[in-house]
Amino acid sequence: MSSRAQIQTLPQSRDNALLAVEDLSVTFSRGSLFSRLINPLPLPSFNVVDGVTLSLAEGETLGLVGESGSGKTTLARAILGLMRLAAGRIAFAGSEVRTPADFRAMRRRSAMMFQDPVGSLSPRLRIGTLLTEPAVIQGVPMPDRRAAAKALLALVGLPAAFVDRFPHELSGGQARRVGVARALAMKPRLLLADEPTAGLDVSVQGDVLNLIGELKRELGFAALIVTHNLAVIRHVSDRLAIMYLGRLVETGPTREVFAAPLHPYTATLIRSEPVPDPRRRSFGPAVRGEIPSVFRRPSGCEFHTRCPIAAERCRVDPPAYRAMGAGRMVRCHFPLSQGGQELGVLSGTSRNEKGKST
Amino acid sequence: MSGALAVRDLSVRYETAQGAVHALRHVDIEASPGEVVGIVGESGCGKSTLVTALANLLPANARADGAILYDGVDLAGLDARRQRMLRGDEIALIGQDPMTAFNPVLTIGDQLVDFQHHRRDLGRAEKRARIVAMLGRVGISDAERRMKSYPHELSGGMRQRVAIAAALLTDPGLLIADEPTTALDVTMEAQIIHLLRELRRDYNGIVIVVSHHLGVIAELCDRVYVMYAGEVVEGGDVDAIFHGARHPYTRALLACDPAGFPDRLERLPTIPGSLPSLTVPPTGCVYAPRCERAFAPCGLAEPRPVPLSGSHMARCHAVSA
Repeated sequence: MSSRAQIQTLPQSRDNALLAVEDLSVTFSRGSLFSRLINPLPLPSFNVVDGVTLSLAEGETLGLVGESGSGKTTLARAILGLMRLAAGRIAFAGSEVRTPADFRAMRRRSAMMFQDPVGSLSPRLRIGTLLTEPAVIQGVPMPDRRAAAKALLALVGLPAAFVDRFPHELSGGQARRVGVARALAMKPRLLLADEPTAGLDVSVQGDVLNLIGELKRELGFAALIVTHNLAVIRHVSDRLAIMYLGRLVETGPTREVFAAPLHPYTATLIRSEPVPDPRRRSFGPAVRGEIPSVFRRPSGCEFHTRCPIAAERCRVDPPAYRAMGAGRMVRCHFPLSQGGQELGVLSGTSRNEKGKST
Repeated sequence: MSGALAVRDLSVRYETAQGAVHALRHVDIEASPGEVVGIVGESGCGKSTLVTALANLLPANARADGAILYDGVDLAGLDARRQRMLRGDEIALIGQDPMTAFNPVLTIGDQLVDFQHHRRDLGRAEKRARIVAMLGRVGISDAERRMKSYPHELSGGMRQRVAIAAALLTDPGLLIADEPTTALDVTMEAQIIHLLRELRRDYNGIVIVVSHHLGVIAELCDRVYVMYAGEVVEGGDVDAIFHGARHPYTRALLACDPAGFPDRLERLPTIPGSLPSLTVPPTGCVYAPRCERAFAPCGLAEPRPVPLSGSHMARCHAVSA
């Protein structure tokens, strides 16, 4: 793969990165319009995305993983300028993106696949119109709209007759393919895909991911895939970024993160995934409790309320986000050293040791 | 046998303006008390129709043939009133989205009291005491306070716990969980799986888990039925299905699950082709158009179930005992 070499040289050098995000924060303030009107003091605000720094090389695939409420969709939307940034810098293809005009220029060369494939297509427009709309909006001259739409459909393996269909006539998998075609209509250098396989059957999910992978090799764009599905992301991403309550807690090459997670949260996520094998059943959930609300962020390390190895220090002292070996970063006072085996010891079970046939 | 469920040769078709949709064809399912039975399949395989048929909730345009014997009684033969009694009392359903299972304008506590309306022998205070005990059992601490909350005040995982408590309050003999973890995060999913497994210890009825997620089925079930395009194509012990699958569809489905591969794959496996039309089901085997092993008889004759070792069975011409 052509992207491999680039990944090796990547770590933190922003010069050759396609996308570099530095200390990005997105803030929501809580309270109704009424309370905002009567209250003279500024309302307390909450960082839904807090100080995220990441970079994406040309042609690289980055998986952004976390539970719902971790801010991963908000981060993706903020990168494209669909949400206002409270702080931070974004650089795209070497130049800083600051003004709304900069974001518009960036969006011309990047694309987003939204979470709901049918919902993101206008129900009153035919597929042909939907596919060529981006080009019309961007003022790209197009002699034959129908032919352009048919070419895009052919690119994603759909029959040309689909140009006259409406979105509701498509199956979930077909709607995803239209979403891919629409995202790639402007030949983007960056694709942001928000849960590209949510709601798809396993036999179709592979289809959509293979399609994105093939087109990536062919067209050479970089991709940021937002998902909570670990089973899928391990096969399609080069690097992983794990998010918890709006902060990155771990980043690193996908294979290494899966083989030896450093952050206890990453380890519990991996261990929570049900294994399709009745002989390797889990005993007891890897993590108890639920993701706290960003409106009530725990003190110290925000994962300490659920962390199986939390110590006194974790309750008071927020850990720094620091480098651990080649290309890996972790936000934890006590990073795991044996690939999450410690957690197994602490909870009395370990996934690999519980081979019990039924 | 008391409390056993047997579905015999069940076929369901929906009469629509475009013709009849044959949603279920010749389905046979067995379950005995204390057993967790999994129904696995992709969308369009008839899982939901089977669940609605079991719960006696089929819409008016559905025509069902065959028998659903519960405790020796054919559910289809009962009049509407007795069906309804049975549904509240003996058969409970846990839905996919716990938000829609509750009335948004009533508190959890009030709704759980109402779920016990058939228990004429209990007063309101006794019912509330049962609720507190049941909420504790499904892992909700602070049950008294939670009973005063409205559904929207609970998180998805918490709502699913309440839905499980609601289902168990009626002491059902048959508990149907339709995609119980699909709407949840992976960490909550693991917790709900663990909860369902713990509850089995003191619950003696039948649990039917319907899911498209092979991992959930493998974690929870004793016996599994694999469905495709309205038919049960393979059934048997969970170990036989996951480690000795014989039907080509089951094998392909297992091979598609990316969770089954620890190492990175350049291409994820898929099942080429698409589901056949259920309005005009193909003659012969339903899976033949997508099957790698299809040969002459597959396009001509519908395969009969081939009994294999134990309760294992596969509906395929290429399989022999």
